[in-house]
Amino acid sequence: MTQDDPLLTVENLHTSFHTDDGTVNAVDGVDFTVRRGETVCLVGESGSGKTVACESITQLFKRPPGEITAGSIVFDGIELTNCSERELTDIRGARISHVFQNPQNALNPVYTIGWQLLEAIELHQDVSRAAARAEAVELLDRVGISEASDRLEAYPHELSGGMKQRVMIAMALACQPDLLIADEPTTALDVTIQAQILRLLKDLQAEYGIGILFVTHDLGVVAEIADRVVVLYAGKVMERGTVYDVFETPCHPYTRALLDCLPGRGSLGGIPGSLPDPMAPPAGCRFHDRCPDAVPDCSTGDQPAFESVVGEDHEVSCLHYRTAAEPTVLESGVEPRRPSERTDGGDTHD
Amino acid sequence: MSSDSDSRRNTFEDVDWDEIDDTARPISHRALAIASAYAIFVGGVAYDVLLAPEGDTIASLGLSLQALDWLYILTLLTLVVFGLVPLSEHRRMTAHYWNQFKKNTAAVVSLGYLLVVFAIGSIGPRVLEKPRVDARNAYQPPVFTSVESWLPVDCVGPVVNDRCHGTWAHPLGTTHEGKDILVSVIYGMEVSMQVGLIAAFITVTIATVVGISAAYFGGWVDTVLMRYVDLQITFPTFFLYLVVVYLYGGSLFSMIVIFGLLGWGSIARIVRSEALQRREETYVLAAKNAGASSSWTIRRHLLPNVSNSVITAATLLIPSLILFEASLAFLGLGDPTVPSWGGLIASGRNDLQYAWWISTIPGVFLFGTILAFNFIGDALRDAFDPRSGGGTT
Amino acid sequence: MAVYILRRITWAIVASLIVLSLTFLLLYFTPDTQLTELQFQAAQAGNDPERVGEAYERYHGLDQPIHVQYLEFMTNMVSLNWGWSETRSQPVTTALVEAIPYSMMYAVPSILLSTILGIGIGLYSATHQYTRGDYAATAFAFFGLSIPDFWFAIVLLVVFGGMLGWVPILFDTSVATVSYANVTQLLLPVTVLTLTSVASLMRYSRAEALEYVEAAFVKTAKAKGVSDRRILYRHIFRPASVPLATILVGDLVGIIFVASYLIEVVFGIPGLGTLSYRAIVNQDTALVVGTVLVPTFLTIIGNLVQDIAYTVLDPRIDYGDR
Repeated sequence: MTQDDPLLTVENLHTSFHTDDGTVNAVDGVDFTVRRGETVCLVGESGSGKTVACESITQLFKRPPGEITAGSIVFDGIELTNCSERELTDIRGARISHVFQNPQNALNPVYTIGWQLLEAIELHQDVSRAAARAEAVELLDRVGISEASDRLEAYPHELSGGMKQRVMIAMALACQPDLLIADEPTTALDVTIQAQILRLLKDLQAEYGIGILFVTHDLGVVAEIADRVVVLYAGKVMERGTVYDVFETPCHPYTRALLDCLPGRGSLGGIPGSLPDPMAPPAGCRFHDRCPDAVPDCSTGDQPAFESVVGEDHEVSCLHYRTAAEPTVLESGVEPRRPSERTDGGDTHD
Repeated sequence: MSSDSDSRRNTFEDVDWDEIDDTARPISHRALAIASAYAIFVGGVAYDVLLAPEGDTIASLGLSLQALDWLYILTLLTLVVFGLVPLSEHRRMTAHYWNQFKKNTAAVVSLGYLLVVFAIGSIGPRVLEKPRVDARNAYQPPVFTSVESWLPVDCVGPVVNDRCHGTWAHPLGTTHEGKDILVSVIYGMEVSMQVGLIAAFITVTIATVVGISAAYFGGWVDTVLMRYVDLQITFPTFFLYLVVVYLYGGSLFSMIVIFGLLGWGSIARIVRSEALQRREETYVLAAKNAGASSSWTIRRHLLPNVSNSVITAATLLIPSLILFEASLAFLGLGDPTVPSWGGLIASGRNDLQYAWWISTIPGVFLFGTILAFNFIGDALRDAFDPRSGGGTT
Repeated sequence: MAVYILRRITWAIVASLIVLSLTFLLLYFTPDTQLTELQFQAAQAGNDPERVGEAYERYHGLDQPIHVQYLEFMTNMVSLNWGWSETRSQPVTTALVEAIPYSMMYAVPSILLSTILGIGIGLYSATHQYTRGDYAATAFAFFGLSIPDFWFAIVLLVVFGGMLGWVPILFDTSVATVSYANVTQLLLPVTVLTLTSVASLMRYSRAEALEYVEAAFVKTAKAKGVSDRRILYRHIFRPASVPLATILVGDLVGIIFVASYLIEVVFGIPGLGTLSYRAIVNQDTALVVGTVLVPTFLTIIGNLVQDIAYTVLDPRIDYGDR
């Protein structure tokens, strides 16, 4: 297996939640891949399905009401959607681990840090208590917690938010996983702590060569950490490509709108409108009713198929990029405005 | 934009600045109406105490109101003023809570049941004569059922095959004393409602005042009040009542007052902890910074925000009060002049094998009423829970 | 922590003394029914009721000033000299000591059962929220919570004792504590008491566990690869046990005292409840006070145990001012 073979391949993933009021298709056909040693960012507004998508990988959400209704998730050759709960339990923490958004509640308040770290180590490794302890101290040391051996006796409430997140990362790394899923790990932290945590993740990735799936709504963080970006909107992928391509030549109007929201990019008002009703998503492109470039065809049919655009593996789901072989977009008579300047070099990699 | 803020107010109990502007006028119509309602009440009590001839409040109507009745009127008045009036004023909020509440079918049925019990219990005793002892009428079975004909002294209904059949004259049968059970049950409805509502009213009033004062003033006020609550909670109300009833004899009035005066400890704790949380919240601090007075802050910011948990706690308190009263009446330690369900159950206890209906029927009503309050309390808790209702995303 | 526990113990003692003082005041300001009775009899027999009254008061020390009486009352109470039961012709403490085993005979198994069942079913309900099992458990809880225990006791007694004849109707004190006969006659009391107390415990433990089923740290544990079973025991039950400990000794004690009072009267078990009930009916003041003080002191001790359990179980508790 070479470095370029995907570590994780998610294809056509559908995850639904059955509630009293109806079924929410939180993830509605999502594809992406993560390779070893690279960082892939899932980007989107709150409620776009980022968290559900990454919790679907090892099925962390509550079942019921949650359920993976279709699609495949292949991790290192294993089809995870076919795995039993037992098999998943063996993979969680050992080969795929998680870091969550809010470190305040992510640690069990009634156990010491040491107890929780040791639990992570001893669950998947057959080591003696002493060896596990030594490893725990080393892990804490590695994530930058001073006086590590004393800290093992501390309870979560005695640590700051940043410290807790470091403990969470230490716990996630306890068994040298292949894939680390970090769900907005810095959102709840101060900016200075944020930068430290991001640096730590980068360093650890370089050291262990793990793949990181990073979820965030903060494009500033994306620019800092990502190799590739997947833009999600209302449970669908809008655009994906390398961080360079997506930032330099954003193709989907939604991506552009997100980028415009970055400080210093002009738009202060955010994106007008709000996410569609998750119970009854609109036909056509999910973004059409907030899209400045929408044409009548955007509101019919399904989400447009992916089209390759300029750059490596750069794909976008937008009618404006439909290749000339399909004439529908021309019939509408509306010439795409800004996007048209960028479609010319659309070379196909696949 | 305006629809946006409307829907926000609909879901969360935010500060409603428009309303504050409205009520900032010297005297609003609402305040005036409330004040006059209470004034009429005070006038009535004063008349009864000072002027009315002994026993009769309004002789011409044959109306005689006792202390208990006045307290009941005050309770119902307060329920209307602070319950129904705000609900009808804040229609959108009411609709929101109703939609949450409606999801729980059992609670809706329970609400209907309780309203019926309340209505019958309020009207029945005014219309029906109090059940009387009538030995010849004893042990009549309920309608559609029958017993061995030797049991009733004198079977009112037809006797077929040596079995006495029940009639509509006594739809739920009669006791060993010949009291009509339906009438007794109806009288019992009023007793149960009075016990539950009045005692809960006293409890909630004291608990709210104490809890809010403790939270708002803090310091030694908090210490003293909460120490007292610690002590009060330690002493089981039931046993305290036993002692008091033993020493002084128990009327329904004193029982209710004792339940109300001594059972507020745990709700005061709830109010205090809720109010403490709210006190630190931005909008309360903002109001304080803007120069709002203590009473304003308490009334406009703390009270509305603790009301949900108080209402829920009170709804769950009522069934235990009703059960207490029934238990004491069952033991024969209640008010002997009052036809309580507990007393009725006790009166049929020894005949249960022959005349199953005497104890069973009031028991079913007691069970149903307690169950209904429990269902409603549970549904209210869910409806008020900000975490409920939203989908999972 | 030791200081904190010491403070709680001091508080428990202070609370007990306050309860005793209140009892004294209640008694002091209440007309003595026995005295009235004696004076009435004396008047009927042609004696001077005043003199009889004085003799009675002197005999019982009631002619002393209030602080002397108070001191004597408190000394007696603390030294477990709780007076003489006129109706039973024995010291109150003896009557209590004789009654308590009968109460414990059904209350102890019932407490154990309801603790195990209540927490067990509650946890099951929480982890299987909105399944058929959860609905059944909820319905059961509402039934137990709402059924008037004394009424349920009578109905059960009539059905299983009277109609089916499976259990004796009258409580027999002569049978050995550990015997089949005793088990059969305790079956119904234990059932009724357990049903009443298990319901609230179930609801509480379900609600508490639900708080934690959704908690972020449970998701962390799951992401670590902790099995469902271990999550339930180690990550949900352990933190939930802290507030549950409160309910166990707080609410449960209260429910059991009230319920057992009625249950004993219905089933004719000569325990504390019946003793107290008889004392009230027979106007035996000393015995009434004694039988009411026992559950009160037990509640105070229960609260103390609960506070101490809290400090041991929850590392977050603040031992500072409280």
